[in-house]
Parts: sequence; structure tokens; C-alpha cells
Amino acid sequence: MKAIVQEITEKYNLQNAVFQRDNMAFVEVEKKFAIDLVTFLKDYHQFSHFVMMSCVDWIEDGQFQLLYLLHNPALKVDIGIKTYLNRTEPVMQSAHHLWKQIWTYQREIKEAFGIDFPGSPNVDENFVLEGWTEIPHMRRDFDTAAYSEKTYFPREGRFTHDPATYMREKLYPNQPVTAKKNTNE
Amino acid sequence: MNIKDVFTPFTTWSKVVKDPVTIKNPIGREAAPRYRGFHKNDVEACIGCGTCEAICENKAIDLVPYKDPVSGDSGLRPRIDYGRCCWCALCVDICTTNSLSLTNEYTWVDTDPDNFIFTPGVDKKSWDDKKDGWKKPVPNYHFYGQTRVPMGELHAHERIDSFVEFIKGYSKQQAEEEADRCVGCGICTATCPAHMGIPEYIKAIRNDDMEEGLRILYETNPLPEICGRICTHKCEDVCSVGVNGDPLSIRWLKRYIADQIPADTDKYNDILVTKDIKQNNKKVAIIGSGPSGLSAAYYLALLGYSVKIFEKLPQAGGMMRYGIPEYRLPYDQIDKDINYILSVGVEIEYNVTVGKDITLEQLHKDYDAVFAGTGLHLGRSTRIAGSDHPNVYQSVDLLRDIVKEVPVPVERKIVVIGGGNVAMDITRSMARLQMKKFGEVNIITTSLEDEAHMPADREEIVEAREEGCTIIPGYGPQEIIIEDNKVKGLKVWKCLSIFDEDRRFNPKFDASDERIFEGDMVIESIGQGMDISYLSEDFKKDLEFDPRGRVKTNDRFQSSLPWLFLGGDIIQGPDVIHGIANGHIAAQGIDDFLFGNKS
Repeated sequence: MKAIVQEITEKYNLQNAVFQRDNMAFVEVEKKFAIDLVTFLKDYHQFSHFVMMSCVDWIEDGQFQLLYLLHNPALKVDIGIKTYLNRTEPVMQSAHHLWKQIWTYQREIKEAFGIDFPGSPNVDENFVLEGWTEIPHMRRDFDTAAYSEKTYFPREGRFTHDPATYMREKLYPNQPVTAKKNTNE
Repeated sequence: MNIKDVFTPFTTWSKVVKDPVTIKNPIGREAAPRYRGFHKNDVEACIGCGTCEAICENKAIDLVPYKDPVSGDSGLRPRIDYGRCCWCALCVDICTTNSLSLTNEYTWVDTDPDNFIFTPGVDKKSWDDKKDGWKKPVPNYHFYGQTRVPMGELHAHERIDSFVEFIKGYSKQQAEEEADRCVGCGICTATCPAHMGIPEYIKAIRNDDMEEGLRILYETNPLPEICGRICTHKCEDVCSVGVNGDPLSIRWLKRYIADQIPADTDKYNDILVTKDIKQNNKKVAIIGSGPSGLSAAYYLALLGYSVKIFEKLPQAGGMMRYGIPEYRLPYDQIDKDINYILSVGVEIEYNVTVGKDITLEQLHKDYDAVFAGTGLHLGRSTRIAGSDHPNVYQSVDLLRDIVKEVPVPVERKIVVIGGGNVAMDITRSMARLQMKKFGEVNIITTSLEDEAHMPADREEIVEAREEGCTIIPGYGPQEIIIEDNKVKGLKVWKCLSIFDEDRRFNPKFDASDERIFEGDMVIESIGQGMDISYLSEDFKKDLEFDPRGRVKTNDRFQSSLPWLFLGGDIIQGPDVIHGIANGHIAAQGIDDFLFGNKS
């Protein structure tokens, strides 16, 4: 595994290779080389099993992170390939030609994060959300709480208390918590 | 259609006699050990801080009453609405007490949808005893900082020969970093005697809005520079972040806000909008300019009262100035707070002792109400053999003389009796004077209480030791040894217990464990008493007293003489923030008394 990582590090000028454990490593690669690297690992190093693909919204850095997780059944090792996309240009080269199931992952990521994979079959079809009109719901700037409040009816009988207010009402209801003023206002 | 399509359906019949590859009964199958299923809560560990509710993206959590609130526990507990929960486990990951977790149970069958709302740990469920499920991964997985931003201070060797303030205060970056650790629960507010808006002023620091911070401080505390330095910070004892980490440095954050506003009373008046107070033509006299007197004066002045403080010492501040050493509380910071209070119209007449220079009767006649916050300025003696020797002193007298720049006797070897903050104050003050005079520190401080039970703040004990003072707790004074009419030291016995079964002060000693602490002078610092001689016998007969000799007051600090209010140390014991709270409440009480809840 170390030899493979060493090889691809040199070949693709990788940064930040991390061994999560002896049989699992993560590498970061430039967006333009990502699918090339995935293909190389599949074709030359027998990472024949595509495990899964996921996305993280690093909103503070203005980036989306895509992760491709591959498995080599002969060596029983896993490798994760991370690449980063500018949040303002959420488009990524499709990898559907490598494994057919990537269609589905890319369709899901399109719906959840708004990242497009041009050429990926059915990528624009609804994945689980029908009639969704908000920004993609897994983007960090999607206000889940506001959406919940707006969309779902309140359950009857629900009530809540703010701890500080509740303690004031119960423990010191008559003590001043503001400075009263006698002004002309 | 080809021939394969015709025969394929029949081939499936061959599977009829084989074991199925699917799971026969998926209901009841154990989920993965870290699966995120239904909630569980250790309700005795939970303090009802509500961070779970605050972080919930789906508004699935309510805080509902579980038991009566007490200091450090709101008595509320989270209730989960499974109509909204998405099992993200953010509530678990933010939980300050680690009481909340998710079990790996994921099946719950019920025909009534409204049953899918429950209070974990309170409403019993079949999964309550399950061990597996999602818990906050520890260590090193936290949504907020676990360790407080360290406070810069002068090293012991830099501070031991001067009374210069040694706590440096936070920089902007440090204060914002420390403020960022606050989860904003507000549990601290109930414990603070003045009920300061702590999460609100910490938020103002995060927003870098010092003027808003100052406004919040002055809602409940007109002495923020002082309290920002020497408050007993009871709020920090209950900080929810402190349950599994360092509590917020609430006191230093308060100081940070106050320090950012320059000592300009006009600016204070602008920020706090106190230039346009309408007078109500009522007059209140205040006896003593300690924390309770100043607090009462400030809040009365805001209500339009004409307020005059009668102070027997040459400067204002009471024990804050004459009891707390300058290295902890510099005089210019006391002046900054007091000058602003004076700027809203409060007057102070110095060097006037009520009961001697002017009678309480006269104040009653000349004013509509009187507030007395005269403090505990009399030292208490151990009354052991030798304690009447001239080289045996009271700590409060020496501390006062240091401030008044009266020459204080300093011997080469000193023994201090006492384990409270005042004992630490005199220990560290005398250590500085020893260093100045002799170039070395040689002082032993001993207390009845053992190390774990010393009433002094932990940091005071640590800092005293850093400065070369020797602290030997757990010994009781038996005799001051005098030879040739000179103090030679203090004889002590090991203290086995301080209180008897009835919680009465009745120390027990082990005489076989005797030690002699050598010293040329002994300082007693075992508590202070009050001087309420300004209460004439005529008034006393109409007042009620508790068994400890304190005047009884109601919850507005009003005595049985309706025009006389008393507060601060003489009512609630020595503590600045209690005094400030008493003064504010009493101001409200006086206003209610004179205007019947109006004004």
C-alpha cells in the first residue's frame, strides 16, 4: 500500500497523504487530475471495487470536497481520493464510465449539493426530493431550522423554556435584572 | 421474446428449498454499535443547559420541567419530537455534560403518531439500558474549546517587591477566543448574585461591540472594573462548559469589556444614556461607600433620587479600597467606577462617621429613606493566650493602614492565622513589605481548615506560594509564644475537625501533633465583625435581630423600621458581588417604599 501511495504521490504531485490505518490511506489531488487518478488506480493497481462517493461543503474555505473511496480486493486495502471544487463553480468531470453505479452517486450529489457532472446519465432527475425549490439541502448555507419551521406544522402540545428565563421566574422573580431609569423619554 | 425468457421463471423454483439469503426478520436485528437510534439521557448528570435544543436543526427538542431548578441546574430536560428528529446526533455532540446519547435501537412501533414524543431518561423506554449507540467521541472531539485562554500575569519574582497589578488582562484576540467557548446557556446568570446578563455580554465580546457590553454590565452591576478583577466569580463554578473542561473566564471577560472603555465619564454617560435623568425630589442618605452603598446610590440616582453617601474614611470604596490590596485591585480602577457613579449626581461626604459626627436620627429627619451598608471592618481575635500582645495585629487594620500609607510594622518572621481570602491578602501584602525591607519573604500562614477546605480562592493560595509564602493548613492556634515580652511564634495543634455533630464551631485537636511556627509578629485574620453603633438604643428596640446579631430585613433589605434599609456584608457576609446585588434590590425597595411600585 505504501508503495502505491508513494508512486501516485510522485506521479500526481499529491499533497497530504494520510494513512488512516495500515490498509487505508487518503490522498488529495488537484481537480483536473482526480478522475485520471481514479482510473489509474482502477486499471493499474486493481482497485476494482468502487465503495462509495461523498461530498463535504467546506463553506468557510469556499470549497466542496469530493471523496472517491476505492477498494483493492486482492490486497484488501482501501484508498480515498479527495479533491476540491470552488463553490462558485460546482462542476466536476463525471466518472460514470468507470463504474455504472457512479451514476446514482453523482445524481444524489447533484441534488444534495448542486454539483453538476455533465454527461452523467439521469443526473438531472430527482433523487429523493420531489418538487424541491430551495437551494440544495446539504449545502451549509441551507437553513434547515428555518425550513423546518416554515414547512412542518407545529405538533400540538409542544412547549419549551429558555433555561435562564425559567430559572429567573422560579428562583428570583422579584429581583431587578435591568437598571430602571427615570427619564423624560 | 426468446426461449430464455420463457424458461427463466421456472428456474427460480429451484430456490424454493434453499435457505434464504435475506434476513428472515429484520425487525429485532441488532444495529451497528455506533448506530444513531433513539435518545437516552442521564437526567441526573444533565443540567438542563439547553445546548441540545439550541443546536437542533429541525427544532425537534423542547426543554420541559423535570424538577425544581437549583444553582447550576435549570431543572429542565430535553424532550424529543420524533416527527422532526433526523438522528443527526448534533445534540449529543454538543452536550456539555455528555449525558445525552443515542442508542442503537431503531424500532418503535406504535399506532398513535402522537406517542412519538418523549423525554429521554424520564419517560421509561425499552432501550434505556442499552449500552451501544452513538456517544460523543472522547477525547479530542468538541464543538467548543475545552481549555480556557490563559491569563498573562507577572512572574512571582517580578511582582513580589511591589504592589503593581500583576494580572495583565486579555488582549482582543484572547478575549474573543475565550468568548467563543461560551455556549450561551445562561445557567450562570441564576448563580450570579446580581444575575448579570453573562451570555449577553460575552456575545457582545464576540461581536466586538464593547459599548453594548458595557450597557449590559451596568444593567445589574455599576462596578465592572472592580468586579472584573476581584469578583468571587461563583458563576464560573456552575458554567456548563466547565462540567467537562475549564469553565469560561467570566470574570476576566467582564474586565475586558470595562477595560476597553476609557475613563471618561462623559463617554460613559453617552453610552449608558444617563444624562437625562428626571429628578423626583426625594432624598436618600447612604451610610458607607462600599459595594452595596455605591450600588444602591447608582440605581437610586438613575431613578431620580438625590443621593448622598456618608463615608467615614477619606476615600470611597469601603473594603474594596481599604481591604483588597492594590496588586489585585488598583486604585485607579476603583476611581474609574466611582467617578462615573458620581457623574450621575451621587454625592459623597468623606470623613463623616454616622453615630458620631451626625446621628442616624438626623439622617432620618433630613432624608426620605436611609440605606446602611457599613461593612465588616472590625477584626476578630482568636483570644488565645498572648493574643493581647502589642505585636499581634488584626489583618483588616494593617490592610487599611497600607492603603492610608500609615507606616505598618514589618518583622523578619511573620505568622498569619487564617485561611480565607483576607488572610491571603495580608499574607501577600506583608510578603511584599518583607521583600522591600529585608530582601526576602519569611511568612507562614496557617488555618484550621485543611488544604481542600480552605475558604480562600484556590488561585490566591497558589499565587501566595509562588511568591514565597508558606501555607500550612490544618492546624489550630493554641498559644502565642512570648519570651522576654517579645513574640517568638505560634504554637499550633493538628486540627481533626472544626464543627461538631450539630454543625457548631467546636474544633477538635490532636495535641500530640504540635508545631511551633516561629515569628516576631502574629497577624490574626479569622473573620471580621460589624460596627453598628450608629443604631441608637431607641432604634434598636424597634429593630429585629437574628441570633448572630444581624439586623433582620425583608427580601428588599428593608428593616422593621420601614425607612431604614440595610445591605452588604452586614447582612449577607463578606462578598462584593452580593453587596452590589443587595444595593440594587434595596434601591428598588426604597423606590417601592416611597412611591408604592410607581416611579
